[in-house]
Amino acid sequence: MKTPDLLRVPLLGRFFRWRYSRFALQVPLLLVALLALYDGFFGRQLAPKNFATVSVWLHYRGFLVLAIAVLGNLFCAACPMLLVRGPTRFAKRFLPEFKWPRALCNKYFVIALTLFYLFAYEYWDLWASPWLTAWLILGYFGVAFVVDTLFPEGTFCKYVCPLGNFNFTLSTVSPTQITARDPEVCLSCEGKYCVNGRVETPSGRKTLREAPNAEGVRYPGCETKLYVPQIKSNMDCTLCMNCVRACPYDNVAWKLRAPGTEPAWARYKIDVVWLGVLLFFAGFMNAFAMVPPYYQLAEHLAEVLGTRNEAVLLSTIYVLWTGLGLFLTLGVTTLADRVSGVRASPLKAVRFWGSGFFPLAFAMWAGHYAFHFLTGWASIIPVTQQALANLGLPVGEPDWTLAALVPENWLYPLQVAILYLGLLAASYVLFRRARERNHFLAGGIVFTYFFLLVALALWVLAQPMEMRGTLLLPQ
Amino acid sequence: MRRLFLLALVLLSGCRPKTGEPLEAKVRFVPEHPTVGKAEVCIEVDPRLELVRVEVVGDMTHAGMIPVEAEAHPAGPGLWRVEDFDFNMRGDWVLTITAYDKKGKKYVKEVRLTVP
Ligand code: SF4
Ligand code: SF4
Repeated sequence: MKTPDLLRVPLLGRFFRWRYSRFALQVPLLLVALLALYDGFFGRQLAPKNFATVSVWLHYRGFLVLAIAVLGNLFCAACPMLLVRGPTRFAKRFLPEFKWPRALCNKYFVIALTLFYLFAYEYWDLWASPWLTAWLILGYFGVAFVVDTLFPEGTFCKYVCPLGNFNFTLSTVSPTQITARDPEVCLSCEGKYCVNGRVETPSGRKTLREAPNAEGVRYPGCETKLYVPQIKSNMDCTLCMNCVRACPYDNVAWKLRAPGTEPAWARYKIDVVWLGVLLFFAGFMNAFAMVPPYYQLAEHLAEVLGTRNEAVLLSTIYVLWTGLGLFLTLGVTTLADRVSGVRASPLKAVRFWGSGFFPLAFAMWAGHYAFHFLTGWASIIPVTQQALANLGLPVGEPDWTLAALVPENWLYPLQVAILYLGLLAASYVLFRRARERNHFLAGGIVFTYFFLLVALALWVLAQPMEMRGTLLLPQ
Repeated sequence: MRRLFLLALVLLSGCRPKTGEPLEAKVRFVPEHPTVGKAEVCIEVDPRLELVRVEVVGDMTHAGMIPVEAEAHPAGPGLWRVEDFDFNMRGDWVLTITAYDKKGKKYVKEVRLTVP
């Protein structure tokens, strides 16, 4: 079936083919980041009244899941962190470039960084501190600069950035994907420019790979090394549109596709599947850490372990929960394999069934972020006014009562709908997998597991919120 | 370049709106440790300050939460009171007490508390 190509939409197609389209998308987010840095460091240190905390923890996260649901990984496309490219190219002239270690050419390093970030988020209450949020932004720019200077471009996005990999994983459910318009054209394409880059020199067309220093008009290829005719997934695609500009045959399409279905037919490597599984359990924990039963659990654990050390308690809860999640996933998927008569290793079982977690992970984060975004979306207006006023601009008195976008009693039904949609997409993945094995009971076993997880998530989201920085109340 | 940057910072911080003098006040709650729901906020200041208006704004420490705003009423010399301040959610609260004297001078005090 022929599906619409967004690059054929007149203005959109022209915009994305324009050399500076990415820069044009990055500039607004760079301005947001600069204002967040200023207000985070010098503004009032009160999260709901500071531009850093409101823009990062409310709007950035809210718009991010919305963009992924509606279109795709637009936030990687507009990522201002990659504006460090100018300075890194300059620094590269004086510094050696290293190869990213082979052992780290997978998602395990990102998984470790994501776990550390989630721990830091709770332990240091990043969400409550404009100052730490500003440091996080600055640190992110710094790490992007160092990694992209010392290693090939694209290394940071693909192997280091927890946020980018969060976007990659969730965008597997997006309704668009980069693909080749006509695979036949690719077969006879001499340079594979979409991945190798293109340079138009006076002596003719070359790839940037064979002639990296050639003079001429340069069109960089895919930094995350995706080869357009073979793309089956949004994983690792930053929507930078380099491939669109590098292809001399106008053979790259940005096609609409059925949302939520990619995990049913894409075959991910095991590290990618673990990332999806982890993001579901981490998303669950992120929501659970805001409700009273979490604090009761912490009190109970403090008694059992005989310590009130927050780092110990937090690590224990995280390790137990994610460990339990990974262990249960191994167990349930292996059981499904055995029931369907397959005697493969447990890791192969996770690889086969585990991609069903991708839509669930999206739904978990989207449900949680939707709550915060919809309850406080308009607060961006007074915080921006205040931050600009701090800069001496005449922007009027902020109205701090601006906040909710939808009535409060709509929020839970909306979260329920998002989670059920996630479960529906996950059951489609499981159904397809079960059909491959011709064994629907096996799919049913994994579905029951998913259903129970979603029920648990709905119970968490139904709890009253408790926004507390300290894990334990003072005795 | 660095000097220019520093100069710009100094100038910009000079433009920042004034936040007010620190307010010397004792703040008590009834009940002493408020839980979710209404509580009384009592603010005791030096009567010589001659305040004419006292506002209490409660913010939670998470972005996007709507503040709770209340006007305190005089309840004796140097005593101001909000009878039914609405702690509408569990968690960490920051109360910002802003007071104005006869000459329009502004005083500010911040109180942090956890509502279990
Ligand atoms: S997408 Fe374009 S550049 Fe890439 S292989 Fe196909 S024809 Fe060549
Ligand atoms: S160049 Fe690579 S990352 Fe960029 S849009 Fe094309 S496939 Fe995606």
